[in-house]
Amino acid sequence: MAAEAKPERNIKISSSDNETFTVPRNVIRLSTTINTLLQDLGLDEEDAVNTDPIPVQNVTAPILKKVIAWCTYHYQDATPTDDADNREKRTDDIASWDVEFLKVDQGTLFELILAANYLDIKGLLDVTCKTVANMIKGKSPEEIRRTFNIKNDFTPEEEEQIRKENAWCED
Amino acid sequence: MTAIYDMTRRVTMHDVNSDVNYDDMDADVQDFFTDSNQPYYHERNQYTIEKLPDKVLRDIFQYLSPKQVCSYSSKISFQINQVGLVCKRWRVISQNPLLWKFVSFRPNYGGIQVNPQCIDFFIQLIGTRFSELRIVELATDLITPNVLYELANKAPKLQYLTLDFSTAMQLHDFTDLQSFPSRLKSLTICLSENIFLEGFLRKVYTFISSVETLHIIGTYEKVEDEEEEVYETVNIFKLKQFLPNMRVVNLWGVPFITDEHVDAISSNCAHLECLCVNYCPKVTGACLKLVLQRCRKLKTLFLAHTSRFYNTKPPEICLNSELDNNIVKMVDWEKTRIEELDIKGTELNSEALISILTRLPHLRWLDASWLENMTDQVLEAWQNSNAMGSLQFLNMDTCDSINEQALVDMIKRHGHQFHGLCLGGQHKLLEYFWMNMIPQLRNIRVMVMGIAEDCCPKVVAKIHVDQFIDCIAQNCPRLTRLEVRWDDETLRFSDKSRYKLHTAFTVTNNFYFSKFIDVLRMKCLMLHSIVLSDGQYYELVRSNFERADRMSVVRTTEMCRTGLLHCSRYFNQLLFN
Repeated sequence: MAAEAKPERNIKISSSDNETFTVPRNVIRLSTTINTLLQDLGLDEEDAVNTDPIPVQNVTAPILKKVIAWCTYHYQDATPTDDADNREKRTDDIASWDVEFLKVDQGTLFELILAANYLDIKGLLDVTCKTVANMIKGKSPEEIRRTFNIKNDFTPEEEEQIRKENAWCED
Repeated sequence: MTAIYDMTRRVTMHDVNSDVNYDDMDADVQDFFTDSNQPYYHERNQYTIEKLPDKVLRDIFQYLSPKQVCSYSSKISFQINQVGLVCKRWRVISQNPLLWKFVSFRPNYGGIQVNPQCIDFFIQLIGTRFSELRIVELATDLITPNVLYELANKAPKLQYLTLDFSTAMQLHDFTDLQSFPSRLKSLTICLSENIFLEGFLRKVYTFISSVETLHIIGTYEKVEDEEEEVYETVNIFKLKQFLPNMRVVNLWGVPFITDEHVDAISSNCAHLECLCVNYCPKVTGACLKLVLQRCRKLKTLFLAHTSRFYNTKPPEICLNSELDNNIVKMVDWEKTRIEELDIKGTELNSEALISILTRLPHLRWLDASWLENMTDQVLEAWQNSNAMGSLQFLNMDTCDSINEQALVDMIKRHGHQFHGLCLGGQHKLLEYFWMNMIPQLRNIRVMVMGIAEDCCPKVVAKIHVDQFIDCIAQNCPRLTRLEVRWDDETLRFSDKSRYKLHTAFTVTNNFYFSKFIDVLRMKCLMLHSIVLSDGQYYELVRSNFERADRMSVVRTTEMCRTGLLHCSRYFNQLLFN
């Protein structure tokens, strides 16, 4: 409630290709990396305005734009409880907005994952990983290779060996 | 010098693999001259899954739990193993112990069946792949001294252990058992009808003092003949002496459990918070007075179906109540901290119900379904006692004695505080009731309504479901689960609405079958389960959600039932199987 009284603070961040974005402090809070940085450098103080943009290396402007869009939509979400004890992790619970948001080509999806990982945005990383997991589920190894364009680097002998090893739990 | 070197290299590469390099060269040249390198740049930087670091791949694989069975090419195998066959790097990652924290070895429940010829290999795996194990379920054939020894010594993080003896014909020899996991938080023992476990447990007692959650799962489902002799396969009196730290005790469907057993447990467990004796037909409640005096922290009490049954399945039809009315009335309910109570399917009389409900001011969660004596008078007395103030979850499924007006009064007064309301199986509650009540239920998360045709009294009136759905969408933004049980014969929905367009709601304008379902989908964003009776309407709703890529939201009543149990604070601890 106290935050409402104060004018919304904005943070500037710049992409690897030097495009600058202005993001509300509340929104960028979702990135643990930037959040910690701001706190550690004392940039959260009242007088710390008009500083240089924070460089976000490794993330290009188009991707950073998408990441900010995701954060803007989700910044008011309740922080999910840590479910380390949960037995099974569901992948069919992706919110419809996220499903639409992630209808992108594989390259963009993986770039988003890398960005979420680098910026440490847990919610975005979770939902993108779930999306990839759904692309893997129910597929045979060959189908998985075809989906992601992965080269089979096993020799036939090695493959046979793995099948033998897996025999402990499969028929 | 470098230039020459560069040139020669180019030339040699050219020779080796001319086709590919021509393309490359062309692009390079184009780049150089045209300056519009955008498309080329993009293609070159195309990110593939191989660019993801190991940690992220592991994050992805964690959603492919070892329990997930996928059967392609008629073979049973596990998705996580499939992933390990893709390439070398994936194989290494898929074997990371962090991905094997929860493993079930109960084939009856979708777990891994360990090939009997590979037991030695399996034991070897415990020290390598299963070193991060937190939760493990073992069936009889794996409950051996060797396996338990390895788990005790090589899986230091193991906290949840399930020992399933339910299919046991014979136990292994445990005379050599020297070691047992000793940091357990939760222990689940599934009993068989006639295998005595005392010989095994005697070896285990000294290791289990850290256990906070104990499940003993009986054979309730299997007992067919009441006359059959019931064996006391576990010595509760002894077991409780070694479990001083229990917070949650779940005795589920254990036929030999009596009030003396429950009493004995309470005598040694001052920290008990949740006690569950569902489907324990010999419990009369005689122990409750003392139990509630001793265990001051007790918040949750589940007493569902604590009554005898005579060969009757489904168990909902109970003939002879054992939960004793007079004993229950003698309990000092007002002195307890009970917040959650399950008295489903008991035969408490109205007087006893009033006596309990009016004296529980902290009650937050109540399952009072299948109670014949849940009458208008009970509801009225309960409201007038002001003990309903904390109530958030109420299940009154199939309480036939209650009339519409009594419920209307209750919802008008308390509707805003309800997070969960289950009024399914009540044939008196129709369109008129719900259309008026839904606007009162602004905070509702879970809602169940309707009755299926085959449940005795025929629903003559027709239900116009479109308005319903619209009403829910407009009034219940927090809804997560919805169940509508009326069947196809009863439901009426407009066919015209399928093609009519309402511009305000066509945010995703690639499809619109029913604008009402669209509205529901758009307005109730947290809705993740809709259960409907199988039929035309179910198909319509399901296809609507699936077109919006919201898979497995819509299910049929045959596949799934909505309840309130997941809203209990102890739901996670009470889970078994």
